[in-house]
Amino acid sequence: MELRQASSVTDLDGGTPLHGGTEVVPLLRAGILKADVLVDVRKVVPRGIDGTRIGAGTTLAELEVDSQIPEALREACRLAASPQLRNMGSLGGNLLQATRCWYWRLKWPCRLHGGNECFARDGEHREHAIFANDFCASAHPSDIAAALLALGATIITSARELPLAKLYRLPTEDDRRTTTLAPGELILHVECPQPEASTYLKAMERKRWAFPIVGVAAARTGGETRIALAGVAPIPWLLDGSLDDATPLPRNAYKVDVAKALVKRAETALNSS
Amino acid sequence: MARLIRTEKEVEGRYEEVWIVVDEDALEQWPAGARDVVGQPATRMDGLERARGEAVFTADLKLPGMLHAAVLRSPYAHARVTHIDLAPALASPGVYAAIGPKDIPQLGEECGFQGAPVAAVCADTYAQACAAVEAIAIEWEQLEVLLDPDEAIARGEQLDEPRVRARGDYERGLAEADIVVEGEFRTQVVLHNSMETHQAVVQWVGNTLEVYISTQYIWGIRDEVARGIGMAPDKVRVVCHYMGGGFGSKNSPDDYTFVAIELATRTHRPVRCALTRREENLVTGNRNATIQRLTIGAKNDGTLTALGGDFVNAVGWGGWSAPTEGPMQLLYACPNVKTTTWAAKINQPPMKAFRAPGFVEGTFGIESLLDELAVKLDLDPLELRRKNYAHSDAADERPFSSKSLMECYRRAGPHWERRHEVRSRSTDTVKRGVGMASQIWYGGGGPPSYAWIRVGSDGRATVVTAMQDIGTGTKTAMAQIAAEELGIPLEHVTVSLGDSARGPFASISAGSSTTPSMGPAVRAAAADAKRQIIEIAAQRYHLEERVLDIKGGIVSSHDGNLSAPLEEVIGLLEDAQILGKGARGPNPTGMQVLTFGVQVAEVAVDIETGEIWVERVAAVHDVGRVINPLGASSQIEGGIIQGIGHTLSEERLHDPTTGQILTTSLDAYKLPTIADVPEIISELVDEPDEHLTNLGSKGLGEPPIVPTAAAIANAIRDATGADVRRLPISREEMLRALREADERARDKEKRGAPAGV
Repeated sequence: MELRQASSVTDLDGGTPLHGGTEVVPLLRAGILKADVLVDVRKVVPRGIDGTRIGAGTTLAELEVDSQIPEALREACRLAASPQLRNMGSLGGNLLQATRCWYWRLKWPCRLHGGNECFARDGEHREHAIFANDFCASAHPSDIAAALLALGATIITSARELPLAKLYRLPTEDDRRTTTLAPGELILHVECPQPEASTYLKAMERKRWAFPIVGVAAARTGGETRIALAGVAPIPWLLDGSLDDATPLPRNAYKVDVAKALVKRAETALNSS
Repeated sequence: MARLIRTEKEVEGRYEEVWIVVDEDALEQWPAGARDVVGQPATRMDGLERARGEAVFTADLKLPGMLHAAVLRSPYAHARVTHIDLAPALASPGVYAAIGPKDIPQLGEECGFQGAPVAAVCADTYAQACAAVEAIAIEWEQLEVLLDPDEAIARGEQLDEPRVRARGDYERGLAEADIVVEGEFRTQVVLHNSMETHQAVVQWVGNTLEVYISTQYIWGIRDEVARGIGMAPDKVRVVCHYMGGGFGSKNSPDDYTFVAIELATRTHRPVRCALTRREENLVTGNRNATIQRLTIGAKNDGTLTALGGDFVNAVGWGGWSAPTEGPMQLLYACPNVKTTTWAAKINQPPMKAFRAPGFVEGTFGIESLLDELAVKLDLDPLELRRKNYAHSDAADERPFSSKSLMECYRRAGPHWERRHEVRSRSTDTVKRGVGMASQIWYGGGGPPSYAWIRVGSDGRATVVTAMQDIGTGTKTAMAQIAAEELGIPLEHVTVSLGDSARGPFASISAGSSTTPSMGPAVRAAAADAKRQIIEIAAQRYHLEERVLDIKGGIVSSHDGNLSAPLEEVIGLLEDAQILGKGARGPNPTGMQVLTFGVQVAEVAVDIETGEIWVERVAAVHDVGRVINPLGASSQIEGGIIQGIGHTLSEERLHDPTTGQILTTSLDAYKLPTIADVPEIISELVDEPDEHLTNLGSKGLGEPPIVPTAAAIANAIRDATGADVRRLPISREEMLRALREADERARDKEKRGAPAGV
């Protein structure tokens, strides 16, 4: 495997971009991601915070302490991973991280890997999706994506500008990908408008360094409240209906209860601020 | 004179008769209480080496020309190899040798669990070895997978005969009861996850085989390896100077050591076989899951009349049936007890001993159900325990060598009293409560174990014994015992351990036995050396031996005629040395040697989200004399933290259809982090066991993890009224228990409401 430095954001040339390495390296080691060439993009992806514009190379550690960053995003960063991982992990990389579904991580030939079966649906799915889990029950692990979804963020890539919601897609029979990013396309900036109020609440199976059972982001912008969830669907999930519409599996109905409690609390928090 | 005696030896509740040779053990125990060195807090003598990275663990060894082994393991929970061809592996770059199922008995074609070893390769680098393992051509026939423990019992798939233990008349005891409570409790599979994975580096030096291994039992490795390959034990040298944890999983050489030996034999090179974290979480043992169907019968005043339990140990494909029934048998003075323990053979990796095996699981069951009884009878749980206090071992009809559990209860009083104040801090959504649970476990250690001591003319002493320090700080404890007996400062003592070629036989570090097994031998050796020093001083200064003593490194006579530093008194010896030797004497005949304790946990429960905070755990244990209070508090803290993981977040999961393990990485298998650690208060009764050895000390490695789960579960009941019955207490289990408690309360209300309203 070869490692080279990117000279510009369009200079990937079929290589796999590498930033903090907290996701790419484990996936390479597990043999899930195959790459002949790794391209170090740390020098070309913008890093830093300028008002509502955040460089995709900014680390989670930098975001969690910056007062320009809305509360929901800061809190999502603070509750993500461990300090060591947050020191390395970038905002752009976090938005693109893959599911923690154990079947997928252990390379079972599941639908997300191109196979014909979702092993979690009939198997061990206590940490899995309660929405849009028909085809694939994997849960999206990003706290940050849920926060940005609630905040109504926009993504600026090396090719285009798009609402964050459009970065993600549910996997289908014909196309198993969970993002719409084209090969070679890099996230460069995130435009994150200032809300009137925002918050992020997270339930995990231990106090720190765990992916969300349920993460709830809530933001009020222009008088309108948006709620987005982490860990409940194969992609970050904008809650546009009721949690009663969830379709939990036999062993993860408890997630609906947890989500209801956290949504209620998030709404209370917004209303009191 | 050497004495040949036959005595009973116990490790983790399993007894055997052994012949031992002991010297006359004339040493009186020291009076109770802290002494000059023993009983004083001492920092670990190897703490700096460890913190600086200077301590060389097995994982750090790089022998010249060393090759790296990788192992081909079964990807299936039950399968048979129908074809295997090692030739492609042998042809891979950097490969020196490859071995398969026909080559050594530790590799096999019939695999009863995922991870069972089939073949192995060694190469210049570990990456090359892995690539070569990938290249092995192999075909499998998948076989039926049996995973459900109850089904395994029903089908007769049992690793052992059911173990039935009964006293009194259980049925009559139930008939006499005013109240009967029943419950089914389930505990999960948890993993040891030692920081240092299982590994061995082996090399031939002439016709001696050197085995460097992360182990809890240097001498056991020596014997098993010698037996396994048909060699004289003295031609096997086993070395382990530092250990990165074991928790019961490193008592044996296991397949990886024999893989390394065979590959070293074939290649004439040193070979390292080290497991990865993922292999570690697959095949190096586990605390097996249990199902416990328990019944308690009691009088209205709380007097227990009957205890009954059907215990299913989901042992795995191999291993042994741990004493899950032990706490029910031993904790209380109930006259009528009947337990049956089953050993289910299922297609899961074999269990191994894990820090108080059986008792951790069994204590969760009996101590939880006992609190359910307390609620039903409206009795104080602590009073209920006092009321049924066991003054002797009713299971074996033997007196305890010592038991200060009542004193533990007394000292727990102030922590227990906090419950009123803790509960009062509850809110609408966050309920707070306090729970307690008792601890009973073994930990008396036993013979044989030996130590030597060497005192130079500079007055410095070295304890020499081929024991291992599993990481609990026993090395420091041995130095303290030697310093105390010799009457010299702790800094003047070093300890040489960890090498079967450089010291006498020493105990296994399992069953909380290192300190109670080794400590008395070290003290005896130091006493032997001290006696010789006194004799020398008496001759040199023409004084009577009986007026001489050594204290603080000064040899002095009671009559004031002599007060000289030890190095001056024996300085004339130059390079000569004073050599002392000591042996561990037997345990007291006809007595049951056990450890005791109690823990009081304070929790907060978010009743909407099921989140649990363990906010404070107070532990009071009785392990006889405490050698090093600082090391002891570390053991208690570590045990409670590991117990919190067992209680709240850790669980090995498998796919319910194929039996394949899903939690092989540390993000899926959730060990507690420092953020999960509560305030921990540790107290020790520190009363020597007057019947046990020249020290009166028992072990403390295991006791602190025993009651933690039950104390937390009982605190949750105190806070919320919910009966948790399953570990870990995940959000799912917590919310289920809360819902059940809610329904129960509503039912009661309905039934209690007057008709027609």
